[in-house]
Amino acid sequence: MQIKINHIAKMEGHTGFMASVIHGDVRSAKLEVQEGIRLIEGVLIGRHYVDMPIIAQRICGICPVVHNLTSIKALENAMGVTVTPETEKLRSVMELGQFIHSHALHLFFLSLADFLDMDNDIQLISTYPEETKIAVRLREFGMSIVKVIGGRVIHPMNNEVGGFKKAPDAEALRKIVENSEAILQDALALGEFFRTIKIPDFQRKTEYIALGKKGEYAIYAGDIISSEGLHIGVDKFENNFQELQKQKEVIKRVEHEGKSYMTGAIARINLNRDKLNPQASAYLDSLGFVFPDYNPFHNILAQMVEVIHCVEETSRKLKEILQSDLEKVVTQPYEVAEGVGVAAVEAPRGTLYYHVEVDGNGYIKNANIITPTAQVLANLEDDIADYIKQIIDLEDGTRQKKLRAFIRAYDPCISCAVH
Amino acid sequence: MEENIKKPRVAIVSLTSCEGCQFALLDLGEKFIEFATQVELVDFRLIEDEEDDGRELDLVLVEGNPVTEANLKTLQSLRKRSKLLVALGNCAAMGGVPEIKNYHEGVNTIKHVYKYIHGINNPEIREIDNFVKVDFTFPGCPITGEEFLQYIPFLLRGEIPTIPDQPVCVECRAAGNRCLLLDKKPCFGPMIQGGCGAVCPTSRMTCQGCRGLRPTGNVKAMRAALKNMISDHEFENIAEIFGLRDDIEAREKETK
Repeated sequence: MQIKINHIAKMEGHTGFMASVIHGDVRSAKLEVQEGIRLIEGVLIGRHYVDMPIIAQRICGICPVVHNLTSIKALENAMGVTVTPETEKLRSVMELGQFIHSHALHLFFLSLADFLDMDNDIQLISTYPEETKIAVRLREFGMSIVKVIGGRVIHPMNNEVGGFKKAPDAEALRKIVENSEAILQDALALGEFFRTIKIPDFQRKTEYIALGKKGEYAIYAGDIISSEGLHIGVDKFENNFQELQKQKEVIKRVEHEGKSYMTGAIARINLNRDKLNPQASAYLDSLGFVFPDYNPFHNILAQMVEVIHCVEETSRKLKEILQSDLEKVVTQPYEVAEGVGVAAVEAPRGTLYYHVEVDGNGYIKNANIITPTAQVLANLEDDIADYIKQIIDLEDGTRQKKLRAFIRAYDPCISCAVH
Repeated sequence: MEENIKKPRVAIVSLTSCEGCQFALLDLGEKFIEFATQVELVDFRLIEDEEDDGRELDLVLVEGNPVTEANLKTLQSLRKRSKLLVALGNCAAMGGVPEIKNYHEGVNTIKHVYKYIHGINNPEIREIDNFVKVDFTFPGCPITGEEFLQYIPFLLRGEIPTIPDQPVCVECRAAGNRCLLLDKKPCFGPMIQGGCGAVCPTSRMTCQGCRGLRPTGNVKAMRAALKNMISDHEFENIAEIFGLRDDIEAREKETK
């Protein structure tokens, strides 16, 4: 039997799905990525480094912030540029804003309808007007953070190698802090709503990978850690994780020691949940998950936990930033130098990795970008091969719906994965 | 259902792209929801997972580059089905960042990225108006949400609006910014189509022309103004980022 889905909507990018099942045995389960190639790494070669964040962040319209941050960090590491602690902190808040608006989009507007058995969001919006308003408010809060710090929500331009082109408006930051109290209540209310959603039961053991940092729920910085005990510096990433391209395919899957693994919200919650902020931690407890938690559908609830965490974290960090001298985030003069730099930041969908080589005049010699969706694709396919067994006897239409819901719960970003 | 018959049938379709222009629409929040209820959204993959019925359309908004064969087929069939076809953003209108490869290693750029290149669609990047007639363009990388709201009512009535021919500088001055050119920063603002709210110069980022040349934009004067700041080579480099370089070359040929 062939199971074929031509096109999966309500996710970023273009992909279909194909599986082959013979006498109940799943022979293959494969995402058929239909995205065109843009060759972002290729076009960067030979260009001046200042163009890199501008070009690289255009890999993705949902998560440009994390591409902006990671490319700048990799360039700074390559050239030995150091930035002030104030700059680091402000950048980390920008990523919190990115998490909040990306997660709110996915968990409410992209995935939720699947668990309420609805086909489109127009229906969702009219059935749940109050919850919709909350989700919109959460998104707008996240977007306002990116806008105030980065200058714009999609493809921000204020952040650059060495710091920020200009300091953010203190009054606007204060407003975000003021809003955060009401937004936290919104996030908790939406969390309660999500607690009532019936989530399918499915478990498959895998390895979880994320950044890990002492004393902090790692998002902007950390080492690479895993549920199997791996703990390495980011500079060892390419020694431990292998990109693999199959003939005629535009996506490079990534493996760890020959096996698939998982990254993203569910991986972070599994690895770093003891470092969540109080309200996020209490909400996670209320969900009653048993750890290690291997249900990929729980990714949506893990994102909800992170939205709560990020709202708390934004408020805490912005209060600290407002106590410091904001002008310290403005770019200071630095030397352009030859070098190799790597960096990793947690994107909403998992660990994003950049590698860049710069020559003595600041021109890029080589670039490699490994995105979260490329990393989880093999894991998604392994999961589905297992999940199909559970739903094999369902009628064709229902089975398709379940598969679409499963793939969307992963929150794949195909534009990122192909770039 | 009678009400549905009167509503304009609209599709918002993404070819190869970052989908940022679609997100710029979604990011309008309640204002976008209001727009979505005024029309019959036949195809907007970000919010619905239903098959497009394939019938006639009043308006289609196309984002991205035709890179794959499927992209090209989609584009051509949308043109056949729709009364109006509108380019949504810089990639569709000007080629976007993927077009950078055209100016350098062209299709060979792929060798830096992939080991196996056989069977992968890898054309030179060409703007959608090379393949189909484009009735209107929402410029920018990404598009400006407020500008979308300003002009979409015209398009829904079947009219083609005109964006006023004014440089980015008008809004930049109105925002109270110090001119970047005074600080010897190579800003393309004077020759570029305004309407973005001068969002980049407001962040002290030079305009790199993602919205394209304005109708009376003077490339010669711009080159002269930047002569002491950057070399010709650097000028071309900046113009490559958003696919502006070929438009500049075409304009210079015209005015010679």
